[in-house]
Amino acid sequence: MATRRGFLAGLASLSLPVPGWADVGSPAWLAAGKMGEEYVLHGLREDGESLFSIALPARGHAAAAHPLRPEAVAFARRPGVFAIVLDCFTGAVRHRLTPPEGRQFNGHGAFSADGALLMTSEVVAEGSEGRIGLWETGGYRRIGEWETGGIGPHDMKRLADGRLIVANGGIQTDPTDRTTLNLDTMRSNLALLSPEGEILEIAELEPELHQNSMRHLALVGEGVGVALQWQGDPAEPVPLLARWEPGRAIRLFEAAPEEIFTMKGYAGSIAANQGMIAISSPRGGAVMVFGEDGTPLATHYRADICGLAPLEKGFVASDGGGGLWTLAGAEEPARPLRHSAISWDNHMVTIG
Amino acid sequence: MPRFRPVHMALALICAAGPAFADLKQAVDTVMLPGFAHFAESAAAFEAEAESHFRETGGKCDPTALRPGFNKTFDAWMAVSWLRFGPSEEEGRTLAIRFWPDPKGLGAKAQRGLLLGDKASLEPELFARQSVAARGLSGLERLLYPADPPEADPCPLLRATVKDLARLALEMEGGWTGDQGFARTLLTAGKDGNPRYLSRTEALQSVFTQLMGGLEFIADQRLGRPLGEEGKPRPERAEARASGRATRNILLELQAIRRLTAALEPDAAGTLAALDRAIAEAGKLDQPEMAGVSDPVQREKILLLQRYVRAARATALAEMAPVLGVGLGFNSQDGD
Repeated sequence: MATRRGFLAGLASLSLPVPGWADVGSPAWLAAGKMGEEYVLHGLREDGESLFSIALPARGHAAAAHPLRPEAVAFARRPGVFAIVLDCFTGAVRHRLTPPEGRQFNGHGAFSADGALLMTSEVVAEGSEGRIGLWETGGYRRIGEWETGGIGPHDMKRLADGRLIVANGGIQTDPTDRTTLNLDTMRSNLALLSPEGEILEIAELEPELHQNSMRHLALVGEGVGVALQWQGDPAEPVPLLARWEPGRAIRLFEAAPEEIFTMKGYAGSIAANQGMIAISSPRGGAVMVFGEDGTPLATHYRADICGLAPLEKGFVASDGGGGLWTLAGAEEPARPLRHSAISWDNHMVTIG
Repeated sequence: MPRFRPVHMALALICAAGPAFADLKQAVDTVMLPGFAHFAESAAAFEAEAESHFRETGGKCDPTALRPGFNKTFDAWMAVSWLRFGPSEEEGRTLAIRFWPDPKGLGAKAQRGLLLGDKASLEPELFARQSVAARGLSGLERLLYPADPPEADPCPLLRATVKDLARLALEMEGGWTGDQGFARTLLTAGKDGNPRYLSRTEALQSVFTQLMGGLEFIADQRLGRPLGEEGKPRPERAEARASGRATRNILLELQAIRRLTAALEPDAAGTLAALDRAIAEAGKLDQPEMAGVSDPVQREKILLLQRYVRAARATALAEMAPVLGVGLGFNSQDGD
């Protein structure tokens, strides 16, 4: 005869289905923002509707979404002392990640395809040498780190075969704030790491562009599209979009001559979709759309715009004034998707 | 209508005693639109004058004869040069009208190609597609105030550049006026069918951004470039050195920024005073080529003007932004 105790024991032994992203409404993107004086992380549906909102202890930068579980890791702005693992089902903080002594988070992270490993971009506080921090995702214990082959790594993207491309921005910063220390000598690079963390290849720009910082990445073709931030004379027009396929040289794409200063030397986010690459500039208040071959296709103007992600035939973009926008394609104007009181932060992160 | 007067007076009193307010319409109608109209008129008058000069001289023009028209047009441009939104940012018009700074000398390079190349590229339609660096006021300044004798007859290129400038000015003005014009876009902020500005605050924000950007550009570029670093002045980087307009441009731009401020937020007394102080200093500064950046006494005066301009920006941010309900961009000021 079944006793209550036996019933409960039986229940506990059952492997109940773990919640997935569908259980929180299948959000399309994660986006950090500020509402009033509060910092928040939202899960957004494709129509811009917020499915959940979780308070953050300070201003966020980017997030990483677990590929299977409704679990998000929110990263502080660099130099970051915190990253938090959020249960998007309950809103609870599941774990707080603190970098080891002498390391700082640098804003971005990525999961392995199976979700078992979290990789975080980090710097050695003194000198800004790059590291990828490794965390197992059962209990989010630190299990090791890799070198990134450069200074000040920022974004990273995992290729389909498990190799990792890291954008080493090249900028050395003061360990206590964001003061830059090496603009005269900086040299950004892209590093290709094997799934085991071995540096397989490093690609740099030509020497006269050594102040062009490669910081954000989007998967394009067999490699990545790269958004750059120019640290040199703002009067010098330089390319802010590049592509890199491992084994080849980095290709730089110029804006159309009349648009060479539109971005004010600063591309803050990048996304790729349907043969197009979009880069955004909150400083220039614009999103520029290029073909994958670098052909300039369109420019959309919107103040303080930055977050970008693929959506249907084009892109979705977010701005610091609370707007979410659809950029359907090269020909059509930007259309408002939703407007709210949330100042959206730099990035929109696609889930799944 | 005497019997209505008390009502009017009462209204006036309410307005005068009320909180500070932002008058976007006043700013658009009395500063922006007249500014762009005046620029288009000046460029058209310059074109007409140049055309008759080219006719009278049978194509053998005297570049010095065109300098007054150039300077009048440049003056008119300085009143709107810093309003880099709407029709001004579209199609790179601001750059095509005035490509500066140009540390790599892109303008001179592209212009040399036009001077020595196939004359077909000077036809209006083709010329409009030439590099923005080669055209506009920067292109004209190089031809009207050449450092070295030109390598070829500059008259055909001069003529094409003046024509193109007038076209750009007219296009820009057209983009501001009319039912679909950008003035209307600003003034219908928040209304249905206006996806550009979803609220009045957004429109105010974008105007305020122009104001901040204009003052930053004066401090960092027009003054900052020739000032260079302490002990390393860079007079060769001064703006409009050849035509001797370096301080005149700053003065005219500051005056225009003040007009807009006064129209937009008449109660911004601190900002207006700070702008007046900068304008007075710029008026006293006799540095047509900014050569003084290398002279210890003059350099101090130029540095003082730069401090005044930065102070005006800081005052505007502290005083006007809260009234307008705007600020600096959440992302644009942050970076990562």
